[in-house]
Amino acid sequence: MPSTVVHAGFALLLAAALLGDYYGRRALVALLVVLVLPEADSFLGPVMSGAHRTVGHNVVFPAVGALLLYYDTRVRDRSLVRDRLSDRWVAIAWVAVFAHVFAHVALDWTHLDGVNLFWPLQDQFLALDGEILLSTADGFVQTFVDVQIDPETGARSVDAGVTGSTETVHVNNPVEPRDPAIVTDEPVDRRFPIASSGWRLYLIGLGLFALVARRLQGPEPDAE
Amino acid sequence: MVPTLVAAAVGALLAAALLGAAFDRRAVAVVVAAAVAPDLDAVASLVVPGATNALFHAIWLPLFAAAALYWDTGVSESARFRARFGWRGVRIAWVALAAFLVAGIGLDLFGSAGANLLYPIHDAYYRIDGQLLFSTQEGIVQTFVALGAEGPGILPIASPGTTGSYAIPTWVNPDGRPGLSLGADRELSLVRSGWQLVVVAAAVATLAVRFGQREVTE
Repeated sequence: MPSTVVHAGFALLLAAALLGDYYGRRALVALLVVLVLPEADSFLGPVMSGAHRTVGHNVVFPAVGALLLYYDTRVRDRSLVRDRLSDRWVAIAWVAVFAHVFAHVALDWTHLDGVNLFWPLQDQFLALDGEILLSTADGFVQTFVDVQIDPETGARSVDAGVTGSTETVHVNNPVEPRDPAIVTDEPVDRRFPIASSGWRLYLIGLGLFALVARRLQGPEPDAE
Repeated sequence: MVPTLVAAAVGALLAAALLGAAFDRRAVAVVVAAAVAPDLDAVASLVVPGATNALFHAIWLPLFAAAALYWDTGVSESARFRARFGWRGVRIAWVALAAFLVAGIGLDLFGSAGANLLYPIHDAYYRIDGQLLFSTQEGIVQTFVALGAEGPGILPIASPGTTGSYAIPTWVNPDGRPGLSLGADRELSLVRSGWQLVVVAAAVATLAVRFGQREVTE
């Protein structure tokens, strides 16, 4: 997985970009908890096949959460959440959903075997990989989604990067450093990645830069 | 080099994160323009040999601009820039400078084509790529910083070459060397990999949310 540090780096930047007046230490701590929590699905690995990148890494749970939050705070006459929490924490909850989807699920989607994006509705790991370019020879080219039309039958097949299901996919993590299906005598090597390539180090640096820049900024005049 | 669209996306995210009360359409446009400005050295490479990722990817220009801005807004008595453009102008200038450095130069430095950081005083491209992890078998593994690395660089970072030996192809200049090659095939990359698509999508969504909020409150 891109490590939690990388997720946190990108999430810090998104938080600074979205929180506005609610930006503060307590909001950032709450956000970090939301970012780390889904990794707990690693610990479900020993009891449920392929749990990592499935239970905590899908878009179904955040979508349901967002719908409930929207229904409760905007549609209902009397909001359960607003009774207990201030506007500030409602805003932070929205940003947490945003950061979870973009900085955690989406980044893991691009890595190794990807994530089980629509679990529990559909058990299928998807990996986002490809490029988009404009070429003088081929025009617009994108290789993220592979659409093929069978020249004989005319049937269309779409491949958005399916890598398997919870039965077949195991994404290595520190709790289960290798696929349990593989039997070997090699000593167990648990690896805790911090940044395993240049762009991941960049995202960490980007988040820290936003954090430090926000601290160094002078106060804003009230009226201008 | 990293596609200019991705630099624009990081620039937009920095604008949303750092502009504060100065956030509006025009300010975001200025910051995004600053983020993509370094990539203009690809145009210069049609005339100047090896200018791609060198001419505007060196640290001297932003360093000089930062010193001038700091002197004018913090140290100098006259503070001409502040007097003329006000608090808003100063904030936009600082954020634009950050976008030039972090989004424009930084993206190319980390694990991409590389940036010629000290050009033209010392000519060598640098690229920060490697890994940092903790392994129960091998302890801490770190390969980003390479002391005494081979190559032409003087910084402790891996160097893929100099402007003479290392040409970076772009859609403006497909072979990376001076001269117009009108017949050549050109490719304009929009995103090179999955994570870049995620960054672009996150930037679009962030701007949509921020501008949407403004319309609600106004």
